[in-house]
Order: sequence, then C-alpha cells, then structure tokens
Amino acid sequence: MCLLFSTTIINAQDYKFGKVSEVELAETVHPLDSSANAAILYKEETISFTYTKEDGFMQEREVHERIKIYNKEGYDWATKKIYLYKSKAGANEKLRGLKGYTYNIKEGKVDEDKLKKDGIFEEQFNEYLELTTLTMPNINDGSVIEYTYKIVSPFLQIDDLYFQALIPTNKLVMSIATPQYYQYDKQMNIQAFYYPKIKEGRDNRTFTSTNTNRGEGFTATGTSFSQSKSEYFDNTIKIDEENIPAVRAEAFAGNIDNYLSKMSLELSAILTQIGTVEKALSSNWEKVSKTIYDYDSFGGELSRHNFFKKDLPSVLGGASEPFEKTAALFNYVKSKVKWNGNNGYTAQKGIKNAYKEGVGNVGDINLLLIAMLKSQGIEANPVLVSTKNNGIPLFPTRNGFNYVVCLVQDGENAVLLDATEPYCAPNILPVRALNWQGRIVKENGTSGWIPLRPSNISNTSTMLNVTLNDDASAAGKVMQGLTSHTALNYRQRYTSMSSDDHRKAIEKNKGAIEISDLAMENSKQIMEPLKLSYNYELPDAVDVIGDNIYLTPLLFMADKESPFKLDKRNYPIDFVTPFNDKYLVNIKLPENYVVDSMPQSEIIEFNNGIATYSFIGKQNGSFLQFNITLELNNSLIDPADYEIFKDFYEKIIQKQAEQVVLKKS
Amino acid sequence: MSKIPSRVLCLLFLFQIFSFAQTDNDYISSKTPFELIPKANAVVRYEKQVVEVSAYNRMHVTTKRVVTVFNKYGERHHDAFEHYNNNIKIKDLEVRIFDASGQEIKKVKSRDFNDESAVSGGTLYSDFRVKYLDYTPVNYPYTIEFYSEVEQRSTAFVPEWNPIDSYYLSVQHSEYELINNSDVEIKAKSQNFENFNVETNGKHHVVAKNLKAIKPEEYSPNISEMTPRLKLALTQFDMEGVEGVNNTWEDFGKWMYNNLLMGTDELPQTAINDVKALTEGVEDKLERAKLVYKYMQDKTRYISVQVGIGGWKPMLANEVDRLGYADCKGLTNYTKALLEAVDVPSYYTVVYGDTDLKNIDKDFSVTEGNHVILCLPNEEENIFLECTSQTNPFGFTAGFTDDRDVLLITPEGGKIVHTKYYSEEESKQLTDALINLNENGGFTAEVKIETTGYQYGLHEGLENQNVRDQKMYYKNYWDNINSLDIGEMILENDKENIVYTEKIAVNATSYASKTGNRLILQPNMFNKISAVPPRYENRQSDFKITRGFTDIDEFIIKIPENMKVEAMNDNESIETKFGSYSYNIEPLEGNKLKYSRKYIMKKGNYEKDDYMKFREFNKKIVKADNAKIVLISI
Repeated sequence: MCLLFSTTIINAQDYKFGKVSEVELAETVHPLDSSANAAILYKEETISFTYTKEDGFMQEREVHERIKIYNKEGYDWATKKIYLYKSKAGANEKLRGLKGYTYNIKEGKVDEDKLKKDGIFEEQFNEYLELTTLTMPNINDGSVIEYTYKIVSPFLQIDDLYFQALIPTNKLVMSIATPQYYQYDKQMNIQAFYYPKIKEGRDNRTFTSTNTNRGEGFTATGTSFSQSKSEYFDNTIKIDEENIPAVRAEAFAGNIDNYLSKMSLELSAILTQIGTVEKALSSNWEKVSKTIYDYDSFGGELSRHNFFKKDLPSVLGGASEPFEKTAALFNYVKSKVKWNGNNGYTAQKGIKNAYKEGVGNVGDINLLLIAMLKSQGIEANPVLVSTKNNGIPLFPTRNGFNYVVCLVQDGENAVLLDATEPYCAPNILPVRALNWQGRIVKENGTSGWIPLRPSNISNTSTMLNVTLNDDASAAGKVMQGLTSHTALNYRQRYTSMSSDDHRKAIEKNKGAIEISDLAMENSKQIMEPLKLSYNYELPDAVDVIGDNIYLTPLLFMADKESPFKLDKRNYPIDFVTPFNDKYLVNIKLPENYVVDSMPQSEIIEFNNGIATYSFIGKQNGSFLQFNITLELNNSLIDPADYEIFKDFYEKIIQKQAEQVVLKKS
Repeated sequence: MSKIPSRVLCLLFLFQIFSFAQTDNDYISSKTPFELIPKANAVVRYEKQVVEVSAYNRMHVTTKRVVTVFNKYGERHHDAFEHYNNNIKIKDLEVRIFDASGQEIKKVKSRDFNDESAVSGGTLYSDFRVKYLDYTPVNYPYTIEFYSEVEQRSTAFVPEWNPIDSYYLSVQHSEYELINNSDVEIKAKSQNFENFNVETNGKHHVVAKNLKAIKPEEYSPNISEMTPRLKLALTQFDMEGVEGVNNTWEDFGKWMYNNLLMGTDELPQTAINDVKALTEGVEDKLERAKLVYKYMQDKTRYISVQVGIGGWKPMLANEVDRLGYADCKGLTNYTKALLEAVDVPSYYTVVYGDTDLKNIDKDFSVTEGNHVILCLPNEEENIFLECTSQTNPFGFTAGFTDDRDVLLITPEGGKIVHTKYYSEEESKQLTDALINLNENGGFTAEVKIETTGYQYGLHEGLENQNVRDQKMYYKNYWDNINSLDIGEMILENDKENIVYTEKIAVNATSYASKTGNRLILQPNMFNKISAVPPRYENRQSDFKITRGFTDIDEFIIKIPENMKVEAMNDNESIETKFGSYSYNIEPLEGNKLKYSRKYIMKKGNYEKDDYMKFREFNKKIVKADNAKIVLISI
C-alpha cells in the first residue's frame, strides 16, 4: 500500500505554469522513447472567441508549452518561432502575455531563468507575416523550458491544430470553442498514424452589450445605461491525450509534415440566431464546387475570351478535330505563359494579365487553357486538385484544394492537361498534382470525382549489347526508350543540360566507363517516347581469375544496393506511377571461351504479382541473351507489406550480382 | 530664393561624370559575342561599379549591371539585390528587363522589390535587411539591367571587384573604379590579373573584357583563387560609427582589440568563483584550460544573433554567462574571459571557417573572415579552441578551421599565425574484422573501426543519433553489402586522446554470390571504394588534395569447412606521388584468409596535367578493391 501510494505522488504532475517538478528536471531519458532528444511534457492550447462591442468576435488562442531537453541534439527546441498574420486592409494579429522560463537543477535546487527582452526578436517577415522568435536562456542537458503566450486575432480563420510533433508529447490538452454563429468543418489528416479522441459539446455563453441609447434606459435612479444580455452557445471540441509518439522521417514517403496528426478547421457557414444558414461557404462537395465555380477569379475567368480571340486562328491553323485543336492550344499556352511557381486554383493575376505578361500561377495558366478550349466549342472543364504537399481532401472544404488542371472530354475519350510544365504531355500530370483524385466542376454547377493517380505504366526498355575483349574490357552500345513519367522526369532533368554534362551524369558511379556518341531523340516531341543511345567502353568489365572469366550480365547497369534499408516503416512507399523496367542484354562471348555456369532463370513475385521480377537467360551460339524485367503494377506499397517488399528487393539485388562463369574451351 | 546653391550643383555634376558608356547592343541577347556563350548560363554584358569615398566614413556606391540570362540556372547571376541597415541607405534601385530582341518588357522600381530580413541559415536574428528582385522570366534568353545607388556611412567593407565569382558565367565588360575624394589613403591588392588581360586605367580603375565562363572541375581550388580580383581597404575607416585604422594587420588588430574587445570581458563573481574552484590545485595551464573549456561547453549553446557593429563586436561576457548562449564571437570572448580568471592567456582569433582551407591574407589587411575561434599560445604548437561546439574535444579543429592562416587579436596588435595541420599519419582509420562466411554466401562478422585526426571528425557524433539512424548509417556506409543486418553497436568517444572507436556486429544472408558449386567473394568487405573521379576531355584547372589520410584494414575471413580457394586475383601494390595503395591476401591456419590493405593519400597541390595520373591511381584502387576470391566446394 505504502509503495503504491508513493508512486501515485510521483506521477501526479502539476501542469500549472511555473510548477515544474524536480522529477521532470532529473529525468535523463524519455521513458517511452529513448531516442528522443527532447519531449513536449505538456502542451495546452485554448481557442475561444470573445465578443466586444467595438470589434465583434475576436479570436484568442492561448498556448502553454513545457518542453524537456534531454541532450544537445534537442537544444533547437529552446528556440520558438511565432508567426502573426496581417491583412492588406490593416487588420492584424497581436501577440500578448508572452512569458517564459528555463528551469535547471543547480546544487540540488530548482533554479529558474526568465526569458527577457534580449531573448525575443521581432521582425517583419514579409508582406503578410510578422515573426517573433524567442530563444530561452541558460539551456543545459536536462533543462525544462516553459512558455506561454496569447494570439489575439481579428480573423475568423483558425490555424491548423497540431496534435503531434517530431518529438514525443506526454500530455496534450486542447479546447476549441467557436460561437454558434460560425460553423466550422473539421478535417483530420488521414495520412497520420495517430489520432486523438475528440469530445464535442456545447457551452452556454452570454455576452453583455451596453446600450447607450438614452431613450428608455436612462432613469433617475442611478443606472445610466441599460444593459442587454444576449445568450448564445459555443460549439466545443476538447482533447485530452497522453503519450503521443513522435513522427520521424522516412525515405520515399514524401514530406514528413504530411504525416503529422493535425486538424484543420474551416469556416463553412455563417448562421443566424436560430441556426439557419445566413451564408454558406462550404459543406458538401457539390456546394464547395459550386462556391468555387462562382468565384470571379475561377468560373468568372472561363468566359473571358475577347483578349485572345484574334490570336487563335493562326495558332489553330487547319486543325479541325477537337483533339487536334486541343493539342495546338495546349502547346500554345505552354509556350506563351510560364509558371511562376505558385499554386492556387484561382487566377492570381487574372488570365488576361497572365496572357499579356506571359507569366502566371497554376490558376492563371490552366484556366486560360480551359477558356481557350471552351471558346472553340471543346468540352473542357477545370478539375480541382490538392497537391501532394497539401494532403488529401477528405472533407468538403475550399481550402482542401490548392491546384487546378484541365479535363477535355470528347464522347468516350477524356484527357487531363496541365500547361504549367513544358514537358508534360496530355494525360501526364506533374508529380505534385498526382494526389489520389480531383474534383471536376462544370458550368452548370455539377461536379464529380476524377481519379488522378496514373494507371498507365511508365516504361523503360533498355537494350545492352556487349562484346567482351581479351583484356577484361567490354565495349558495346546502349539503347533506351522511356515513356510517360519516366520520360517526363528524364526530360525535366537532362533536356536543358549540355551534352557533356549529360555524358558525365551517365558515367557517374559506373567505375571507369567512357561513353561516346550520346544521342537523345524526341527530347521536345513529348508525345513520342524519349530515346537515348550511346556507345561505351568499360575497362575491367569482367574478372579474369585463374583461367576463368567472371561477369554479371547487367555489367554497369546493375543496381548495386537496395534503397530500402529501414527495418520497418510506418508510411507507404510511394513510387508515383506503376512501371515496367525491361532489359535485353546480348553478350558476345570472347573466342576460345565456353560457358561453365550461368545464373539460373528465375521469376520472383511480390504479393501475387503486384510486383514481378523475371530473369531469363539462355545461350544462343556464341551469344548469351538475358531478358530481365521488373514490373510494378501498384505504385503504393503498404507499410504492412514493407518487410516482404524489402526482402523482394534484396533478392533482386542478389540475383543481379550472380555471375556467369566462362572457361577456356 | 529660387537660386540653387552652387555646392549642390557641384555635387549633382559629380555624379553625372560617371557616364556609363555602353552600347544598345548590350541589351540584345543575340548580340552576345559568340565566344562567350559556350558553358555560360549567363553573360555579364556590361558592368560598372563606381565607389566614391568622400570621407573616412562616407562611401557612395553606384552599380550598373547588364546581364543576359540564357536559362534558369543563369537566374542567380543577375544579382539584383542590395543589403541595407541603419548605416547603409539604398538611394536608388531599379531594374529593367529586355526581351531577346532588346525590347524593354518590364520595369521594376525600388518599392516593388521584395524586402526581407537578411537572415541566412542558422542565424536567429540580424538587423540587416535585403531588397531583392523576384522575377519569373517569360522566355530565355532575356537581358536584365540592374542599377543601384547606395550611401554608406560604414566603410569597413569596400566592395571588391571579382568579375567572375561563379561558374558558368561569362563577362563581356566589367569595370570597377574607386574615386578617392577624401584624404584617407586607400590600399589595394590585385590577384590573377595576368592571365585574364585586365587593363588598369589609373589608380584603382580596372577593366576586364571577354572573360569566358569556367566550368567546375572536381578537386579544383576555389574559383575566387583562380580569377581576377581587386581588394581594397581604407587605412582609416568607420565600422558602424566606430572609427578604425588599418595600415597593417598589426594596427588593424590593435584597433579591434581596443574597440571591439576591450571592456567586453567582465564576468560575474559567481562565474569567476566557479572556474577558480574548478581549477584549484591544478598547476598545468593546459589542464586548467581543459577544465574551463569543458565548463563553458556544458554551460552554453550556439545561437547566432547579429546586431551592433556589423556583427563584429562580441556580446558581453556577462550577458553570455547569464543567458547561456551566444554566437562564435560571444562564446569565444566568454571563454577567453573565463581563462583569464584562472590566469591562462588566450587570444581572440579571426578565421575563415570552411571545409576548404581558406587563409586570411597575410599580405593585405582588410576586414575579412567569417568565424572566430580562440588561440591558446603554447610552446610546442598553438592550440585552437572551437567555442561554438558543446561536444568538440579540447583543441580539435580538423575539418573546419585547421591548416590555415588566421588573425590573432592581441593587445599588442594583430598577428597572422597558422592553425594545426593534420598530417596523413595523424588522420588514420583502422578497420579490423573477424568474418565467418557460410556456404550460401552469407556471413556474420565483428568489425572494429578506430579513427583519429581528421578522420575522427568524420565519425564522431554518431553516438548522438538514435539507434534507427545509427543502423541506417552503417547500412549506407557498407552499401556494398546486400541485405546487411546490424546487430550490437558499441561506440566510444575518447575525447581525451581524440580517438573514436566503433564495434559493430553485423550479418548478411547473401554477400558472396553463388554460381554452381562456386562462391565468388570480394574480400574487401568493410572499406571499399567504388567511385572514380570524373573524366574531363580537357581539364582546365589545377587540382589539390586538401587533406591527407591513412586507411589500414585487416580482415580475417573464415571460409566454410567444405570449401577451398580455387583461384584469386593477384596482390596489388601501387606507389604514386599522390599516395600509395597495397593489399595482399594470405592463408592462415584453420581454413582462414587474412586480407590486409593500406591506403595513404597525401595532401598536395598538382598541375592539371597530373590529373589523368591521379585518376589512373584511383581507377587502380577501385579495381583492386573489387578483387575476388573464388571458392569451390571440395
């Protein structure tokens, strides 16, 4: 009993600001995650709206964090950046009540250092943001820091709430209370592997507005003003969680922020006192789509035709078929307007200005393309997209989308276009836009889902001809053909490179190889497969040991190592597209040598043919022929299958390392 | 009343004489001289910078730069930005953009430039700001004209002339003139004028024409050491309101000592008591310094905040003691003050911190350097302390501040000294392994890696990573082994002797490849080199090996009982002026083989004609590291 009692005391944490315990300070390693360099011991975030007569509802966001720093690698957590928005109209957020302390054990006692002015730095970050950076004093291994602040905001928009961090969180308490007049839709990050429990409810509130109307309130008994009390309620969201694991980066998973557990709140409607919709902003996909279409900078742009009308006849030439016209206009927009690197589904400059200036954001460019296609009677419509970095839009929100592409339909046939990337062919979208599905929106207000993840296979086919010489060297020719995304990647990377640098890039990591006569065909003809060919000479291509010759069939083209080195994964491997990677190797045997042994033909499968590796070798007179193919039919590999996939990949590497043994005849 | 005072007229006139003589052709992309286009992402068509010094604390800089940009990689060469702060005022800033045919398509005025805090990576706060152009080109090529006028009250940094400061950049015309209207003497130093046909049109007035673009080549010296450069300095200058002198390093150093360091080293009594108690009874000054250095490391952290005198004056030692953080200047100065308290003398030392060896120019004193360390004078060899690291062993500088000329700031004045050179004998890596090979080609092994000198710096710090990342590190370090599995890892960081020891248990299911009844084994399992330096059809620049090292490997391989050696490659031994390499394999009792390898690379500077030989040496190493042993079932 006694023991039990004392444990309870130790665990009874005090989360009040300033009540940092010696136990917290004495801890040297995180009890659940020994690899953590720091941990959030406590994080409390409270969002509420307060009504004042002058300003209406003001948003207040109070933050209190207590962070433990275990070692020097964790010192970065002693620096915190707080961004404050300001609008062009002059409204801005304000930082209030910032205070902080660092706690250390000094001579057996808790010692505190206050965060002073000299540790707080304010600057104008850019047009829309002010940045306050604070760095805590006197940080040592084992320090605990604690700070609290409040952001008072005139904006209704609520910043994303993060439940998870790159370090463990021991306790998280969140409370969000929004007035009944504002309806917010919740959106959780479905790519996260951790979710908190959420309790929703209502709290009754009143606000008192002082009436200064002298008419009826002014009495002689001393009350100068009448006060009217209004009753309303807050919608509340409460979270109280413990032991939230850290998120750690993994290769081939994309931006790690995509996997942090978080919640977005989007204002979807403004309601009247009795709960009817006064102004709908979004709520279901149909409405969201319609709302977006009704924006002047979106749907409004699509009917602006006059400014380009006179230029089109010469662009279209004799094209008469819808897809012929589409191709001509697609190329015209690509050559005429360059992408400025900004996303967004609405036109930033307006399609007219973008056309005139020759530069625009995604909205400007692709809406311009759609407007041109429509002007020619082609059925072209915008498709709203959320980029890979923006996450997947699961709930109906306007902010869930941040990109737009074009879909052209002609009866049964449909084709997706994105004119922001010069090397993107029809139906090939840049990788950033390939996020699950997009929402097509039509003029009549109807909308629907369109799958975006490519189903067409990216092919790479390689022909490798090898002649073996007496001096252990090899020479020959390589011919490659690339399609779809593989071709897009190659074009993006190498088309603007000098031939000499291109050569060096190919020679890199291939030992002492020297290549010549490098030729690239169709580098600008994006509808055609990209073709690449070169001759090579490779000294020491084979090993001559004793009387025998040893060689691996793929020579310098073999993968030397598996990229999958982690023992386990939490996130899927994303290959972007299905692919088929095929090699046809022809090796001419040197004179006076015969085959002693060669690798066995073998087919290795992963998960019932989701991926297949086939290695077929045979001798054909004085030639050895190998037909080697890696085929992947599903571009996402589930983390549950990771270990099997890793094993599959290692078998491929092992197979490629198997040697042909030649002996003197 | 309406009469303009004659003095104003005179000034106006003064600025007008900098007529920027150039032709309209400079705005037409297609009129770029043909010979300047190969290898260029951008060509400076016309550049003229005029620096007018009117007093020791007044400098007016006018820059005009016309650049034709050929592709997206050329964007960064238009350099359309200016920094400013309280003492640097941008008077005029304008950009005009011309299409390929020379038609003006856009004009950007000062107010349309992006305006941001000039915080670079790692700096928390700086009072410098920058105005820069954010322009998305519609088409390539295009030509951009940048014009700026900047008024500076701080003259410690006179713009230098370095027309080709990056690769892939050609220069048609670049001109620099410094007009000295003050009575302050201005000194100058030129570099690499000979090979680039630089014309000198009078004192501090230089012109270069038709400089062809340079392509980077591996192992080549820094581009600024190969191209023309004119450095200038005022012998009497102003740094953010503080007057300074600079005739020699000696008086410049003295100025720094008196104006930037003096009075910043006061410590609270508690700190003095702390270090006194810590070193009580310790006689040896070096031992005392070690204890104090450790005390400082445990108490502080590195945070970069650049305010005040151009970011050149250290934060007060008092403040550092209270806050527990500072930048390199503050931490160095604080350590210096702590050492003083226990009677150990030390000097604040200005250095270029870089993996490359970059010297403070001993022949020309000017405000330069990017980092500060501390020098402990010592009879045998000066000891240098990196004060921004919480984990560095005492006196360890390899990789960032080693083997270069630095400036000591002493009360008597500035002094140039050389920092520690880590020889190839000192920078050693010893790898020992005991390997048990099985008949399927898999193995289990115990590996031990011991590193010292420069190589210590490449390995230390591993103990701070989490287990997952440590395992990943080894899987990448030994990427020549497929399906490698990492077992127990023991990492020992002996900071006293500066030796790093790693003991790792590993295994793999498939390493030696199986073919019929043979196993083909590469005995160099744990220190294999596979990259050959790139091939250049026609190498242009000389090359250098920045740091030497020695690798010694010894692997004992136990082969399966039922197998024997059928054949193997011959032993190899290579001697070159760059270094040496050898390996040999000998059988031991009990079906074991011993693989021994020694690889030494020496520090050195070489002419470009030697590059092929250097590459040949590397090719031979790659081939030898690929050596194989064929095992066959008995």
